[in-house]
Amino acid sequence: MKAKKILIIDDDDRHLLTAKELLEEEGYLVMTHNLGFGSTNIIKAVRPDLVLLDVNMPALSGDKLATVISGQEATQNIPIVFYSSNDEDSLRRSVRETRVAGYICKGNILDLKNKVAYYLEQSGNCRTASRY
Amino acid sequence: MGERYMETAQTESPRVASLITSREKVAPLITVSVVGQQFMNTTDLDALSVVDCDEPVGLVTRQKFMLTLFRRYGFELYGKKRIIAIADTAPLIIHEEERLDVAMDKALERQDKDIYDEIIVVDDADRYKGYLSVKQMIMQQSTILANSVMQKEIARERARELERMSQVKSQFIANVTHELRSPVNAIIGLAEVMKISTEKGQTDRMKERLSLLTTSAINLRAIITNILDLSKIEAGKMEVFNDGFDLVPLLHEVAETARILAGGKPVDVNVTGTIGSLVILSDMVKVRQIMINLLSNAAKFTERGSITVDLTQGNGEVTISVSDTGIGIRREDGEKIFEAFGQVENAHIKQHEGTGLGLTITRNLVAMLGGRIAMSSSFGEGTTFTVTLPISPISH
Ligand SMILES: Nc1ncnc2c1ncn2[C@@H]1O[C@H](COP(=O)(O)OP(=O)(O)OP(=O)(O)O)[C@@H](O)[C@H]1O
Ligand SMILES: [Mg+2]
Repeated sequence: MKAKKILIIDDDDRHLLTAKELLEEEGYLVMTHNLGFGSTNIIKAVRPDLVLLDVNMPALSGDKLATVISGQEATQNIPIVFYSSNDEDSLRRSVRETRVAGYICKGNILDLKNKVAYYLEQSGNCRTASRY
Repeated sequence: MGERYMETAQTESPRVASLITSREKVAPLITVSVVGQQFMNTTDLDALSVVDCDEPVGLVTRQKFMLTLFRRYGFELYGKKRIIAIADTAPLIIHEEERLDVAMDKALERQDKDIYDEIIVVDDADRYKGYLSVKQMIMQQSTILANSVMQKEIARERARELERMSQVKSQFIANVTHELRSPVNAIIGLAEVMKISTEKGQTDRMKERLSLLTTSAINLRAIITNILDLSKIEAGKMEVFNDGFDLVPLLHEVAETARILAGGKPVDVNVTGTIGSLVILSDMVKVRQIMINLLSNAAKFTERGSITVDLTQGNGEVTISVSDTGIGIRREDGEKIFEAFGQVENAHIKQHEGTGLGLTITRNLVAMLGGRIAMSSSFGEGTTFTVTLPISPISH
């Protein structure tokens, strides 16, 4: 089977490092980018199955970036999920305002694994599709 | 007509009985010239009620009386007449229990030329009780009005304060929640990652991860300490312990910390001033905290150039200034930086870490030590914070 590709965008290297390793542990192919800028080009090049996007980032916030990504034809079909330490209510508001697929709260490892699997499945790219 | 419900206790109009200006009266048969004499002799007498036995039958106001008398031939024409002949025989008469605002309305409903005429007050049996001055009533009313305006203003101010507090609270949620959770989540993630690699026997990157873990924990502790310090200050539980200590080595020590905080940035940290040693009587821990807060800000908001700590003394005071060549602070942001959670940057696109508590704590600490703090800045060029402290708590 071909591993699903996940791109994580976060300005904090600690979060990139941990999320990358935890998800690699699940058998995904994980790439990271530690800046909001340049993300769309990377997405176009990598064509990930899912993007985990931090919200609070210098200069270009995740919610702005999500709007940019889903506003471009080449990237509009790539599912985005916020991955943030923000308050859950504020994340829900950001999700509603930007129409991304959903959010995952940082710090809950089980949730990270489950939700990543769920969102990949949602987008019709079930990780276990190779079974069929 | 019943009492209007709108009138609350605090704006309740007083009764006219309590406002009677004068009880002066004359009998109707007194001659005009005698009354003239009375007005001449008593300069603060504005009016006289004409009272027959106990019943008011007219009013003579000084203004109209003088006008009549000093008109051409006035005195010759009227001097010997009875006062009742030239008095206003239909003056406004009001019951003593009437409310001031009602009396006021009635007074103002009169013809223009009569508006300022005095009002005669009577009791239940229509007996003369005195008169009241409309001018005085107007003054009385405007005081009541002013009071109620003031009360409304106080209420509005309170509402604004509550509004501001709730804004501060939501800013707290936006900034602090993230600032607190981010290191905690990093710690959880790092611990988990290390657990996995330990299970697999991969120890190669352990050291690097452990130091990340420590930095996250230190970072978290700093934020928690700030929050706790501010609560302590707000609860009035912060204590001052004064001791004699030399300020100069302390400044060099915090400058060293600033060098570490500036990290790899091309920023020089200098301590200037010619003073080699300066012992002050103050709370050293708090002075250090003040200096660390200012220097960590300078290090945080300066990309290149220098940070200069300067020390001068005079007038029983020491003045320490921290100048940087950093991003500067716009005039319009100058006030909010000293407020709790007041940060210039928007939480979602913040370039710099921090909760916005440093300067609030600093300002409070400086005040506790009997000093003051000021900021001056030129946006894009740099900022200077100046702290002035007494050399000894009683030197002031
Ligand atoms: N030297 C400086 N140069 C430019 N801006 C500054 C400087 N010092 C403070 N500020 C501005 O004032 C704000 C408030 O400063 P304060 O020290 O209270 O908070 P903080 O540094 O953001 O967070 P904390 O100190 O709680 O970690 C900063 O966020 C920044 O916008
Ligand atoms: Mg600070």
